[in-house]
This record gives sequence, structure tokens and C-alpha cells, in this order.
Amino acid sequence: MTKQIEPVWTSADLLASLEQREKFFVLDVRNREEFERFQLEGREPLPALNIPYFEMLEMGGQDEMVDSVVACVEQHLDGQIPRDILVLSVCAKGDTSEYVRQALERLDYTTAHLKGGMKAWGEHYSTGVVVETPELAIYQVWRPARGCLSYVVASEGKALVIDPLRHLHPYLDLAQKKGFRIEAVMDTHGHADHISGGTALAAESGAPYHLHPYDAIHPMDVLPATIPYNAIRDGQIFNVGQVQLEALHIPGHTLGLVALRIDDRYLFTGDSICIGSIARPDLGGKAETWAPLHYRSLRKLAALPGKMTVLPGHFSSLKEQNDAGLFAATLDELKRSNPGLQRLAQESEQGFVRYLMDNLPPFLAEYVDIKRVNAGLLAPSEDKASELELGKNVCGLAASGNCKGESQ
Amino acid sequence: MSQAFDRLLDARGMNCPMPLVNARKEAGKMEPGQVLKVLATDRGSVADFQGWAKIAKNVELLGQEEESVDGANVYVHYVKRIA
Repeated sequence: MTKQIEPVWTSADLLASLEQREKFFVLDVRNREEFERFQLEGREPLPALNIPYFEMLEMGGQDEMVDSVVACVEQHLDGQIPRDILVLSVCAKGDTSEYVRQALERLDYTTAHLKGGMKAWGEHYSTGVVVETPELAIYQVWRPARGCLSYVVASEGKALVIDPLRHLHPYLDLAQKKGFRIEAVMDTHGHADHISGGTALAAESGAPYHLHPYDAIHPMDVLPATIPYNAIRDGQIFNVGQVQLEALHIPGHTLGLVALRIDDRYLFTGDSICIGSIARPDLGGKAETWAPLHYRSLRKLAALPGKMTVLPGHFSSLKEQNDAGLFAATLDELKRSNPGLQRLAQESEQGFVRYLMDNLPPFLAEYVDIKRVNAGLLAPSEDKASELELGKNVCGLAASGNCKGESQ
Repeated sequence: MSQAFDRLLDARGMNCPMPLVNARKEAGKMEPGQVLKVLATDRGSVADFQGWAKIAKNVELLGQEEESVDGANVYVHYVKRIA
């Protein structure tokens, strides 16, 4: 083996390894409920073994952690952990996994542990460049573990941030590094699956925050949002330096969902159209009423020029990443490959609504509270916020293959 | 819950897995029937003590509490040695 084995993997190392499809084995020592809810995923399923560390302690029967793991592996896990590929030891916060790594090292396994554990991985961000010219730059800022995508559109030193995620440092760091000022922040819709960084980033940057007014009402509570926002209108133009973005109201996933287009080049679709899926219409609890709206909105988007590059709000698998490391494809490409758009082309409104209703994934209880947080109706502690966001989003339709990571 | 106990383990400030590793060592020194009270600040210890008590043959989890001490959350676990 020419490559030197680093005993500690950061979340960035892990992402690089997943993107490069390196082969490794995951030994996850969190408790079983945590493992079932949220685990590492690659383009293909990763070989993995989940044994809670306290079970290793009991099975090994020694006083000290490392000794117990050594005894446990020797006596009980013979043959279950491969010797021909690296074993990545993973826990919740990255402390216990280091003891496990030491034990595996003592047993001559090729091994590393994940620094900061699944918590750090869940909060890891990466940034891809969609385009970077003096006239227009677009950056895709994403959270690999959650499948959430957000965007920074910059021109002439000014920037608009679309769907910023909960942690602000990726946007503030990017602004500083590239030398632009964040002059506007917006959410394409009131998110159900993750906590928006929108109002916080707007306050931090001294920029206005924009949201469609229909999404400033919690759909279940039917209570108005308490957050400060500027109401987005259908057809409204947002100027960023030389660039104009036009808002298109496309209700369905939420009542106030908007897409944004930059002439015939780029289309920010929110969650409506993703690479491998289309949005589910039921996260407001009104699936029957919202599904026909969703159909009409998708029709409107599908009629736009096919060469436009779709920049979605979510991805469901690293498989959707293109060769440039981006989650992006032209509308024409998606009409060929996206199961939801294929159905859209074949079905009447009635048939398409039935298709939507027949493929609703399970509804996660957390989503009601997350919408409350995003409307300013609930203010969770950092721990609670982190817990609400655990695991991967399920904003897409089941039949569209977006739901591998659902509640599990 | 005002649970009587025989030993006290202060694992506040310790990260996973040490609260549980140390509690297990303490329990190993106790007589069957005795109770260990564990103080921890690691939030993950709540689920982990439950999982551990389920599979360990010689201990039982009598109860768990959450207290706030000087603004910090303290998780209290009562572990009884049963065999």
C-alpha cells in the first residue's frame, strides 16, 4: 500500500473518501437507535457493523475500554471485521471511536477513527463552484450528511444567499475569502426538514431577509411567523450586481415555494425538482389540496428552456453528484432521468395527483417543530436544534428514490 | 426521586465512554443489592446507560434524573448491582 494511513479522519477526509469511492468498512459503536436513524452513506451502501461500545465492554469483560474492545473483537467478532480494507471507527462525538481505533490497531487492523464523530459529520459543510466569472459567480454550499443544498449568487462584490443552512460560517467565510458583501438573504420556502440560517445570516450581514408570505404562516398551527421578513412576489426581480434573478411562485411542496431563474441559464428550484426526485406535497398536512398545485407548478417549470441548469435544494444520494462534484443538471437531462418528471410528462393532473398520493414517504414528527423554529414560533437550544436536524432529509417523493434515508 | 444509594461516582466533565466505563468498574466493586449514583454531564450517557443496563447481566437501572446545576445539565443515573 503506497498511501499512508492517517489514524484520524476529519469530516472533510471522509467526504473526499466517499466522493472518490474509496473502499472502507465502518465500525459504528453508537447505540442501535442512533445508528438506525442516521448513518454514513456513500454512493453505494457502505459495509458496516453496528455494535454499541457498552456491548463491547460487556462482551470483552475487561475494566478498561481498549482492553475490552480487544477481547471482544478477538473472542466474538472474528471474521466480521475485514482485514483487507481500512476500518473506520465511528461514534457520536469522536471520543469513544479513538479507543476503538487503538484496540483495532493493537490487533493489527488498518484503521482510523472519525474526528468529532457523527455530530461533526452531520454539521460538515462543503462548497462547490457552479460558475465563477467576473459577471456571475454561483457557489453550491452543502451539508453532505443531510442532503441539503444552498447557494450564494455573487456579482460585482455583492451577493444573495439562497436557502442558507443553520450554521453561518460557510457563508461568512466565503464572503470574506471571495471579497463580496451579503446584501440579501432568502428562503425559497419555509423548510420542514432543516433549520434555516436565513434570519440569523440576514441579521449578521445587515441584509434584508426575503420569504414568500404564504410560508410565513405555520401550516398546521395556522399561526403567523414572528420572524422579520420581506414578502416575495411572483415575478419580483432581485438585482445582484449585474445579475437579475426572477422569482417564480410555484406552490405545491409548500404554499409559498418560489423558484428563481437567472435568464435562460440557471434555475434554482427549491425542493420542487431535485436531481433524482421531485418534492412531496404533504409536509404541510394538506396533501390532497396541495398536490394539484404541485402538478401545475411542475408543469410551469417543465415548460422553461431545456438548456437551463437546475440547481436544487436537496439531494438524496452522492450518486446524484456529477463529475464536477456538483448537484446540478439541465432541465432536459432531468426530463429524461428524473422519475417524477417522467411521470409528469405522461400523466393528466388527476393521474399525477394519484401518483403523488400513492408515493408519500413517512411523515417525520420533527418536521412540525422544525417549521415552527423557522417561523420563529419555537426557539430551541443548540442541543435540541442539533437533535431536530439529525439524519437525512425526506423532502422528496418515495417513488423518486429520495427516501433511502427516511426515518429508518 | 430521592433514591437511596451506597456509592457516588462523579463523572461530570467526562466524555463518552468514561462515565459508563467508570460506572461499570464501580459496580464491579459493589455487593449485590447496593446502588451506585452516577453524575454525568455527557448527554449521550442517558441512552447509553439504558442500553448498557439492558444487556449487562449484573446491573439494573433504577432510574434517571436530569438536574440543572449552575446552568449546566447534569444527568443522574442510579445503577443497582443485582448479581
